[in-house]
Amino acid sequence: MPTVSASYATFTSPLRLTFPTNQVALKASNLKMVSMGWAKNGFPSLRTSRFRVSCAAKPETVQKVCDIVRKQLALPDETQLTPDSKFSALGADSLDTVEIVMSLEEEFGISVEEESSQNITTVQEAADLIEKLVQGKPEA
Amino acid sequence: MPPSSGPRLSGMQKQVLNLYRGFLRAARSKSAEDRPKIESIVFVEFRHNAKQVDRKNFIYIGYLLHRGKKQLDQLKSLDTISLSSFDLGLPQTKHTKH
Repeated sequence: MPTVSASYATFTSPLRLTFPTNQVALKASNLKMVSMGWAKNGFPSLRTSRFRVSCAAKPETVQKVCDIVRKQLALPDETQLTPDSKFSALGADSLDTVEIVMSLEEEFGISVEEESSQNITTVQEAADLIEKLVQGKPEA
Repeated sequence: MPPSSGPRLSGMQKQVLNLYRGFLRAARSKSAEDRPKIESIVFVEFRHNAKQVDRKNFIYIGYLLHRGKKQLDQLKSLDTISLSSFDLGLPQTKHTKH
């Protein structure tokens, strides 16, 4: 049990995501159970192996993504834009989302798979994916 | 594939988005001068159809997809910079086709 709460704390703080402790604590003797908990909470694309990377999304990446999203959607300055902002809530349709992803690709010099790009709905998700791709990119 | 956290998209919607992505990718390979022109036409065309075409009009959307794919191939394969060939007859009435 102490082990579980330890990992609970580690994952929660950087991502600001919470899931009910009891759900994890019930039988969560390994990380797989934790990842199941995530799936139930609507973060299915995150698996245990990606946790480390996901947590690592740097503030400057998030900021850069925010800037691009703001520019792409022509958001007025007073619009609040947080990492959790959903593109759709900002008035983006699916075409806008494609455009955002395309701009991000250019900005960061990466190539986003079609499947993953359709799963991006928030700034945070975009930043996480970018970090992952930038890390995976061979040094040119 | 894990269940998507994004909006549920039909197969046809995905095809359209992939086509859109394809056009924007193709535009990248063009010169700095031509690229914005191509992009603006692509933007307009997709926006226009997104608004004008009934979302249940699968036959017409399928036709547009088919036509778009062929146009994309052209745009990619040739050193196409001329956009006149790319100035599409917009759905119904709006444009006269040649």
